[in-house]
Amino acid sequence: MNNVVLVNLPFVVVALLLAVGFYTIGFKRNLIKVVIGIEILEGAVNLFLIALGYVKGAYAPIYTMAPPQAENNMVLPTPQALTLTSIVIGVAVSALMLAFAVNIYRHYGTLDVTKVRRLRG
Amino acid sequence: MMLPYLIIVPLFGAFATPLVGLAGKKARELWAVLITALTLGVASELFYTVWKSGEIMVYTLGGKNPLGQGVGFPIRIVWEVDLLSALFALMVTLIAFVAVLYSTEYMRHDTGLEKYYTLVLVLEVGMLGIAITGDLFNFYVFLEIMSIASYALVAFRNDTWEGIEAGIKYMFTGSLASAFILLGIVLLYGQYGTLTMAYLAKMIAGNPTFTAKVALGLLAGGLLFKSGAVPVHMWLADAHPAAPSSISAMLSGLVIKIGGTYALARLAFSVFGMGISMKTVGWIIIFFACATLIVGNAMAIIQTDMKRLFAFSSVGQIGYILLGIGIGLAAYGSDVGDVALAGAIYHTVNHALMKALLFLVAGAVIHQLGTKNLNELSGIARRMPVTSFAFLVGAAAIIGLPPLNGFASKWLIYESSALFNPFLAAIAIIGTAFCTAAYIRVLFTFFGRPSERVVNATEPGKAMLVPMLILVLAIIIMGLFPWAISEKVMIPAAKTLENFSAYVTAVLGGV
Repeated sequence: MNNVVLVNLPFVVVALLLAVGFYTIGFKRNLIKVVIGIEILEGAVNLFLIALGYVKGAYAPIYTMAPPQAENNMVLPTPQALTLTSIVIGVAVSALMLAFAVNIYRHYGTLDVTKVRRLRG
Repeated sequence: MMLPYLIIVPLFGAFATPLVGLAGKKARELWAVLITALTLGVASELFYTVWKSGEIMVYTLGGKNPLGQGVGFPIRIVWEVDLLSALFALMVTLIAFVAVLYSTEYMRHDTGLEKYYTLVLVLEVGMLGIAITGDLFNFYVFLEIMSIASYALVAFRNDTWEGIEAGIKYMFTGSLASAFILLGIVLLYGQYGTLTMAYLAKMIAGNPTFTAKVALGLLAGGLLFKSGAVPVHMWLADAHPAAPSSISAMLSGLVIKIGGTYALARLAFSVFGMGISMKTVGWIIIFFACATLIVGNAMAIIQTDMKRLFAFSSVGQIGYILLGIGIGLAAYGSDVGDVALAGAIYHTVNHALMKALLFLVAGAVIHQLGTKNLNELSGIARRMPVTSFAFLVGAAAIIGLPPLNGFASKWLIYESSALFNPFLAAIAIIGTAFCTAAYIRVLFTFFGRPSERVVNATEPGKAMLVPMLILVLAIIIMGLFPWAISEKVMIPAAKTLENFSAYVTAVLGGV
């Protein structure tokens, strides 16, 4: 029983992070905190990707100077490439979001999301 | 093989724009127009080739064959272009060209224009990539390229509160939707260990698991958001009015269709088509389509802001496209399903043309008069006859009057929904009634007595009139041969989308 939890620990953490991210986006009113929530969400997805590619007791997928027992015993390299891409996208998104937050403060004098609602109708 | 140039040309154009911009304003504008015109040429050639041969074009990045050496599954990124993708690539490049030509005059008073043209070209790259890709993660990357470029373009005028507020709303919700889409893709990868759409389709057909259904739910949720379907349409009504008008034309004409409905149709048919009950998926989409039709068109009536009215009307028209796709799924394999899907594809192309035209008209009015409030705009027709004529054509086409292109596509959707379920046809008709009411109201404003504000208005310059007239011409020409176009292009395109085994064998060979 203990073993089942330990083996699935990364996935449990992913679920927790997703829950925290959604809570932050849904219930926090400060724009910066919402940005942090979206970052947590992206982190959860990245962790999920990496955890999917793990093989028990395997080596990093680098052939240079790899010990002989690493042959045919490496973690999956594809999810790592995908994660790298999605990290870069995440950084671009958060940079843009923070730039928007600065501009919102300039125009509205507040970072409260419930007060940023002049567009309606 | 011209296919790689579809990405190479605009990508090179985008990266070279900051350098070319050093040579001055004129060089920058000329460069952007040149690049988009070149891309339009490449896309026309591609469309002609695919249409003529009737086959699915497969391009493997970095190799001759998508399959790995000695293994039976694809290991490389593939691009897969069938008639539908080629048609949408042509539509994207045409509207992008028109919008860039238009913005040479429209954006003249803004600063930071080298960034503007770079972002427009990047937006075009993202949309073309979505249309041609056959790899799920590659699709996600192109979707994000498109989305980030459009977030930045919506908030391009960051000295106005309107642009920033709309941009931040769009961005927060949009990145949430992207996270859902990525989660869906990751779940599929974890379950089946592949990202190539064709191979994934085969694996799902062989072993349709619960995980695949969850992934489809997440993907469909994210994509319905990107297309502005009703429970999640609010960002659209804010983002489209706040963006510069040339960008609204691209957002409303292209982004919500390529990133939303096209991707949804592609995933539902080509990837999940063989492994999942199409009837269930079809009815879920029909449900959202009906809500979108009614809410979008009804909200359009009560607007006083012209661009906001057009934005809600876009939501309503997305409802027709979703209705066509939903009936195409639910009635898969019958004539009704074929006709509905052909109608949805036809309406996508038509709506891209007419909504781009309407937003360009709105841009001309804002540019000349400085207001988009309908209450202040009465009697423009006397002072700006060409612009008003363009609006008249666009509005008549979107309502679906017979000599114009909107008639045929809406007719296909009405006909198939009436044959499928009369109740759905009734909802579609109610939606059109609301839509007509909204546009008649604007029409009366345009042709009323000139108000004080309008008295000194003049027509915009040539660089803004010519793009409008190109679109008017396209609408009228497409309206003159509706059934020929539907027989020769739209029905074959619907058939290629429905024929998912051909999509799979094009990549995997005769497996």
